[in-house]
Amino acid sequence: MTATTMKAAGTDTAQSEKQPRVQNTGKRLGAAAVRLGAIATFALILLYFALFAPGFLSSFNLINVVEQSAILGVLAFGMAVVIIGGGSNVTEGGIDLSIAANMGLCAAVFATVLQAGYPDAVALLAAIACGIAVGTLNAVAVVGLGILPLLASLAVMNIAAGAELTLTQNTVVGAASPLLAFLVSGSFLGISALAWCLILFSAIMLVFIHKTTFGLRLYAVGGHPEAARAAGINVPLHVGFTYLFSGFCAAIASVLAVSRLSASTPGSGEMLLSVLAAALLGTVFSRRLVPTIGGTLLSVLFIGFLANGFQLLNVSSYWVNGVQGALILLVVAVTSFARGPEASR
Amino acid sequence: MTAQPAAAQIAISMTGISKRFGPVQALHDADLEVARGTIHGLVGQNGAGKSTIIKVLAGILKPDSGTISVNGETVGNLTPSSVERLGVHFIHQDRLLVPTATVGEAVFLRHELGFGPFVSRRSMNRRAAELLKRYFDLELPVGILVQDLTTAQQKIVQITRALAQKASVLVLDEPTAALVKREVDSLFAVLRRLRDDGIAVIFISHYMQEIEQLCDRVTVMRNGTDVGTVDPAQTPIDEIIAMMIARDVGEMFPKRSVEIGAPMLEVSHLGMAGSFEDISFSVRRGEIVGLTGLLGSGAKEIVQCLFGLDRAERGSVKVEGKTLSLSSPVHAVQGGIAMLPEDRRAHGVAIDLSVRENISLASLGRYSGSGFVKRRQENQAIDGLIRELSIKTPGRDTLVRQLSGGNQQKVAIAKWLSCQSRVYILDEPTVAVDVGAKVEIYNLLNRLAGEGAAILMLSSDLLELVGVCDRVLVVYRGRLAGEFSGAELDGDRLLAASSGARIAKAEAFS
Repeated sequence: MTATTMKAAGTDTAQSEKQPRVQNTGKRLGAAAVRLGAIATFALILLYFALFAPGFLSSFNLINVVEQSAILGVLAFGMAVVIIGGGSNVTEGGIDLSIAANMGLCAAVFATVLQAGYPDAVALLAAIACGIAVGTLNAVAVVGLGILPLLASLAVMNIAAGAELTLTQNTVVGAASPLLAFLVSGSFLGISALAWCLILFSAIMLVFIHKTTFGLRLYAVGGHPEAARAAGINVPLHVGFTYLFSGFCAAIASVLAVSRLSASTPGSGEMLLSVLAAALLGTVFSRRLVPTIGGTLLSVLFIGFLANGFQLLNVSSYWVNGVQGALILLVVAVTSFARGPEASR
Repeated sequence: MTAQPAAAQIAISMTGISKRFGPVQALHDADLEVARGTIHGLVGQNGAGKSTIIKVLAGILKPDSGTISVNGETVGNLTPSSVERLGVHFIHQDRLLVPTATVGEAVFLRHELGFGPFVSRRSMNRRAAELLKRYFDLELPVGILVQDLTTAQQKIVQITRALAQKASVLVLDEPTAALVKREVDSLFAVLRRLRDDGIAVIFISHYMQEIEQLCDRVTVMRNGTDVGTVDPAQTPIDEIIAMMIARDVGEMFPKRSVEIGAPMLEVSHLGMAGSFEDISFSVRRGEIVGLTGLLGSGAKEIVQCLFGLDRAERGSVKVEGKTLSLSSPVHAVQGGIAMLPEDRRAHGVAIDLSVRENISLASLGRYSGSGFVKRRQENQAIDGLIRELSIKTPGRDTLVRQLSGGNQQKVAIAKWLSCQSRVYILDEPTVAVDVGAKVEIYNLLNRLAGEGAAILMLSSDLLELVGVCDRVLVVYRGRLAGEFSGAELDGDRLLAASSGARIAKAEAFS
């Protein structure tokens, strides 16, 4: 492909321009095609559900999906931040496989502290402290010890999952509190508290990642760590922060999860695939092929609607896992292709 | 400007800088003094210590000894960010820009425009566009990403980044290597204007014409130290080039007399847009031909094409009269070309395999019958090669990783010997190899040529080219700019031709 596009380049100024414009245009068109293709696929699938899944378009169903997506959304934002700061290289870039297991551990801590009779504020702080502690473990392994994030967070995932089982003895820990009651039944302007959580969190993330100096530098660190370092940015600090932040997101998500089920339940590790799918899928909405808050939110909702549509069509929920796995493969393959060979080092 | 600058005008003063990397003394008691309001050239051959002294100034490398002062104040323990705070900015040779950033973001990274913790991408993009227009008369689409710019445009964005931060010292490492004439001219105009504003500019270049055109002073480096600082307006270029080249060649290069035979490798009208055009030459039986050129000249790319790693768009290559398909390294090997790439560890040898496995990789077919490797025969052949090439290894089953660079290179050569190749293409065969092993490699090349092989060697070590080659081809800005052999083959001529200093004269040769 490279050879043919380069042939089309004019040779008058080609004296020593090693990257003729045409090649870049090709790459840019590739990225645009990926973006449009993804959006078109989303639209087609949603259209299919709208036409054939009974009750898909009812306002009750739509709000239900948004509510269900709140937990996934908060986790996916955490994962997106890790990928932004660590780079989107699939093998060496940033990834936090421990995020779902961390949420399970935080939920267990939250529910246990509540059951022990402490107020909401204490339980919330305990959950956040737990999430950030697990995040710190990731940060130390990745930044301090230089272990590949894929491997480091896999190990931490097992530590978190083991700690959860030790704490709960693999049982359901029931929990009730004013905060949980508000999250379940509260509503404002006809929109439930859980949905508000997703909306507010998205808005905060949007400003944090896309409007601040910190967000800009985070993208620079993930895009080209050497260049960021040469510009005087503290690269390890930024990368380490992303893991702490994803731990924080796990803690917030755990509170939402406990509120939905009025308990902490085992098996939250199963969320990982959806979180990963949402964060990776989110990259196709950006012309730079990096995660964005808007793109991640769209993907989260898409995955929510996908699960919901399958349910309404009476397709076994087991299929959803397969589809999510296929989505991950597809997204990774397509984006590495569109990024071109030099980016997939 | 030709007088010694007064103390108050010194922007950068580095004295007695030494730096050692393992066995290599990269810098030895090197001095560099740059005055405000001058453009100061820094020249020297590859490995002379230019990049090392610049990296010391940039705070990337810690010197073993020596003192550095910036604007009259002695500074210890430089870091990349403290250097920047002192107003010293670097335009690195490799384009250190975030590919997924917009031009505005790249120009203002870490010096973002905005309010409090918030950035204003609009004002960054607008301000960057203003600067690009003002300094370079360049208009780019608003919001274009760095990865969508050409190499030259990326270089310009890098310079703009330094200008946006009000640099007092600007260090440019080979800034013109990727630029076309018009862009070089506008860059020089900008640098002259900056000089007139009182900025000190350190300009590292291999292009002697540029040094002559642009610089007020030039410091020549050789073997890790500065051998002199002169005014290029009053010093002939030949003299500067002579200062760059060491004379102590000694007995490094064994001589030989070989009968030169029929052409083995014929390259005709090879071309690749943006890298090189119309390259024709041949290498004959028993001949060692050198190929050289500065970074970005296209010499490297020509060799990459012959290896089948890059694809040429035009032209043809024949090996012993048969046209060779250049679409992949497999075809090159099948066509009988033995390749020794520069990055030994990446392409030349498998460092985690043993000497035996490496040598027999390319020729496994010869030692296998009915699908099994005939181990005894293989071992005999390999022990023979180890002795023949005097590869210093405890045994044939030692991992290549444990050998020195020179011996790794010999294993790479042995690999091809064992499959009896007739045409050898070597890319920088003695980079990171100690002197003793270098001589052994030269002896080996001589022996191969003596046995009738045709050898093409890309090298940027001029002494090596003069000492080993029968003929040397020089590539300048994508074209063959000269061919030197016999009495005409000397370091001064090669350097002059590859830096374009005597382009007109060199063309008469080709």
